[in-house]
Amino acid sequence: MRKIQILVISLSISISLMGGARESSQPDVGEIVAEIDELYRSESSYAELEMEIVTPHWKRTLKMKSWSKGMEKTFIRILAPAKEKGVATLRIENEMWNYLPKTNKVIKVPPSMMMSSWMGSDFTNDDLVREFTWTEDYNFELIRPEYAKEDLLYIKLIPKEGLPIVWGKIILAARKKDYIPVWEKYYDEKDKLMRLMNFKEIKTFDGKEIPAVMELIPQNEEGHKTVIRYNELEFNVDISEDTFSLRNLRSRR
Amino acid sequence: MLWTYVKLAWRNLFRNKRRSLIAGIAIGLGLASLIFVDAMIIGMRDNMIASATSSFLGEGQIHQKDFRTTQSVENTIQNKDWVVSNLEEEKIVEHFTRRVMNMAMINSAANMSSISLVGIDPETEKPLSQVDDAITKGAFFEENRERDILIGSKLAEILEVDMGDRVVVTVSQAETGDLSQEMFLVSGIYHFNMKEMDRGMAFVRLRKAQDMFNIGDEIHEIAINFTSTKYGREGHLPFWDKYSKYSNEALGWTKLMPQLKAALDLSSFSTYLTGLILFGVVSLGIINTLFMSLYERMFEFGVLRAVGTRPFGIARLILLEAGALAILSIILGNIIGFVITYTVSKVGIDYTGIEFAGVTFRELLYPVLEVSQFIYYPLWVFVLTVVVGIYPAVYAAKISPADAMRKVL
Amino acid sequence: MIFKIAVRNTMRQKRRTILTALTMFGGFVLASISVGWSDGTYSYIIDMFTRNQLGHIQIHGAGYLDKPSIYNTIEDYREVGKDITNIKGVDTWTPRLFAAGLASVEEKSAAAQIRGIDPQKENKATRFDKKIIEGTTFADTASHDAVLGSGLAKVLNAEPGDTVVIVSQAADGSIANDMYDIVGILESGDQMSDRMSLYLRLNDAQELFVLGDQIHEIAIVIDNLDEVDDLTVSIEKQLNNPELAVSPWQEFARAFYNAMRADVQGMWIMIFVIVLIVAIGVLNTVLMSVLERTKEYGVQRAIGTRPKQIFWQVIWEVNIIASVSIVIGIILSVLANHWLSIHGITLPQSFTYGGIEFKYMYAEVSARSLYIPAITVIISALLVSIFPALRAARIKPAKAMRIH
Repeated sequence: MRKIQILVISLSISISLMGGARESSQPDVGEIVAEIDELYRSESSYAELEMEIVTPHWKRTLKMKSWSKGMEKTFIRILAPAKEKGVATLRIENEMWNYLPKTNKVIKVPPSMMMSSWMGSDFTNDDLVREFTWTEDYNFELIRPEYAKEDLLYIKLIPKEGLPIVWGKIILAARKKDYIPVWEKYYDEKDKLMRLMNFKEIKTFDGKEIPAVMELIPQNEEGHKTVIRYNELEFNVDISEDTFSLRNLRSRR
Repeated sequence: MLWTYVKLAWRNLFRNKRRSLIAGIAIGLGLASLIFVDAMIIGMRDNMIASATSSFLGEGQIHQKDFRTTQSVENTIQNKDWVVSNLEEEKIVEHFTRRVMNMAMINSAANMSSISLVGIDPETEKPLSQVDDAITKGAFFEENRERDILIGSKLAEILEVDMGDRVVVTVSQAETGDLSQEMFLVSGIYHFNMKEMDRGMAFVRLRKAQDMFNIGDEIHEIAINFTSTKYGREGHLPFWDKYSKYSNEALGWTKLMPQLKAALDLSSFSTYLTGLILFGVVSLGIINTLFMSLYERMFEFGVLRAVGTRPFGIARLILLEAGALAILSIILGNIIGFVITYTVSKVGIDYTGIEFAGVTFRELLYPVLEVSQFIYYPLWVFVLTVVVGIYPAVYAAKISPADAMRKVL
Repeated sequence: MIFKIAVRNTMRQKRRTILTALTMFGGFVLASISVGWSDGTYSYIIDMFTRNQLGHIQIHGAGYLDKPSIYNTIEDYREVGKDITNIKGVDTWTPRLFAAGLASVEEKSAAAQIRGIDPQKENKATRFDKKIIEGTTFADTASHDAVLGSGLAKVLNAEPGDTVVIVSQAADGSIANDMYDIVGILESGDQMSDRMSLYLRLNDAQELFVLGDQIHEIAIVIDNLDEVDDLTVSIEKQLNNPELAVSPWQEFARAFYNAMRADVQGMWIMIFVIVLIVAIGVLNTVLMSVLERTKEYGVQRAIGTRPKQIFWQVIWEVNIIASVSIVIGIILSVLANHWLSIHGITLPQSFTYGGIEFKYMYAEVSARSLYIPAITVIISALLVSIFPALRAARIKPAKAMRIH
């Protein structure tokens, strides 16, 4: 169930990447950050994806379909493995329901549980409720670290005073030519790297260049990794309101 | 005539100083031990209750009646203005403090944990609970910064945070269930040596917590300390009934922590029985001392009889002597008892850091001196001594001078 | 010769002898009862707490106690159980599985601690069935039933007859979810645990969490609490498996153990006071009887008895009385403690803990309830008799006779 939350999270992250391709010569850092921020806004999307979760104890891959409308509504249905086939999750703003075909029940996830992390999870709850934007909630500057590569640009983001963000700073590396992110590094306040997110395999979906694979590797837990791979991705598709309903949740499609 | 006997009895007592002193010290030590053990029993009980109530619980609490089982953020104290204004008038209430609490997630860059987030009012919380005393790093809401948070030592370890580090707390709000997130800066780390508190709790200012929970100025809990510990123990205090209305419940610690009550009852029952045995031992000592000191002197009583003292006179003399011995013993016993108990009550017996039925002993164990200990136990010693003296007194009165004098050699 | 005189002396002065003996043996019996009583009380409280849920000895995967994890399991618990049963002193054992999950009944959901248990074994070990306050315990044959802690039942607004859905993550990472019929509500006496606990049959829980035949804990109940340390060692030896950790209750219930130690400490202070008073009583009696008999010893010296003889005579006298007192004391103490260990003393207020009503407190016949008072009486009698004996030996005949 919490796995599904991760999906929700990952989807909202993925949305941020959509339509990242853009030709530009030398814009200032504010523009770059705003560009990346704007990628959050997507009217609607449809995706088929795989999520691979690796822990020291097990490794598994889930296949699923997902529909989303803005940031508010998400619907996910699991296709594989067989045991979880048909499990579905509906999120409308802060409310969340799970459908479990085995018991044929819809369970509303209490808000307190929505926040809790699940043992194998590599995403923190911070990701789930994140409605922050780089532009508004972070102070940022272009930097050139020692390890800087010629074709990448580096942005240091520091959360603004008083915001509920745990990170001390975030360093983001993006391609100079189209601002597609390559990695994000999250640091704590003592400048210790806490987690690393890699973006790989840039593919064209629906006419846009997007990294098809996102890989999240927590740095303080050995042997944990979460990889999301998009097999299909469509933007601004027509999704009927009916998709985001409890009735749809129950239907075993 | 009686006065003559009294004088004679005293003189007899002081004539054989060594014998009287030994008997007096023996009985006196018995008395002293009764006083000491009584003081210790009270000390143990008080210590346990104090440890239970003074760390955070309070001697009594008021909640909405479903709050304790459901811990639901909507279950706030009903008619709280009435409750608060009445509590302020209450004579037996020494301190009370308002709290709010809710389940929350706390995040640091390194980790996350589920906790109970408690909003407290630092001014009224300070005299009531020991959160302020348990601070090992930082301070207890000293400056007026609304982003201050106090966390337990174990939680700090889990989150890998230290003073001044940022943590994010997420709660779901009342009614809507909307999530509310706030960033706090660790301003203090406390250590209660109690797993639940050191790992599963965090404290912020009341106002801040109320805003996060979206409950206006409603509250979940009022913790109360009374002017005397006896009120908290009392199950049928009118106080409980008075505040157990409007769907609220007011309960003393015995109801709030029934397992502690059970353990305390069992152990104090056992302690009292041991005290009773001690009583027996002391009484035995008194009987023995008195018999010894009187029977060994039958020769003397025989002489007295021979010189014409009437049996009644001898009996009276012996009883008076027993009384005089009792008084001597009581003086000695009270002094010894007071000195020993007082000394130990200043030094204390080390119980620190021991957890019992969810309660941590945070202090030394101090025997508690009470005036009654120096009245009832001496009175008992006096009565017992005199009553025990009756038998040898009667025996001596009946003895024929010739018998008495023969017996000794 | 001296011994004979001593015996004759004690026989001759019957009243004095009886008085001295009364102090000694009375003190002995009372001291013995207080030790036996305190031992009994603590065994009783410890047994009450440990038997309720924890058991006396537990086996886990190494490191589980410090950091519980669903993956840290005991693989072949049946084998382990068989090994344990063969050890003398082990009464019974019971397997358990622990996992966290979301439990929901109708519209309500709450976080729950799921405990997979073997109902028959659990009944025997921790009287599981006695703690049911509403509905029934697990039936012998049915499956897919659940028992809820009373607090959890209240939070979920559930009662017997309802269906509870559990959702969690299984050990293979998959979504664990299933429905169970609530058959009973349980009250363990521990509010905190009752607010979280949801009990399932072990095989149901294993299936739900995809744990095969694995478990997390074996709780062992033994016959005699005093043997807990020895048995822990012999179980460890028997299993001979570095991946399993065997812990006595002092370890997994450390807080409770410390508390008991604190309370015992308080008790020992009282027993020390009792022993002290007994010793003073003995001292006083002997000293008095020697002082009062100064003249007698004077006469003895006058007729030519040597000081050394008088010294030993007094020592003998005291110790004859002490020995007789101890013998009688032992007999009486054993009888008294035995009686108290069977009949107990009625508590002023009975109370219920973990479904068991407690009405009586019992003493215990322990070795130390005999040797502690015995040592006290002998040592105080010996020490105490030396001074008066020396005094008696040094008496100048003339001076002694002059007294009166």
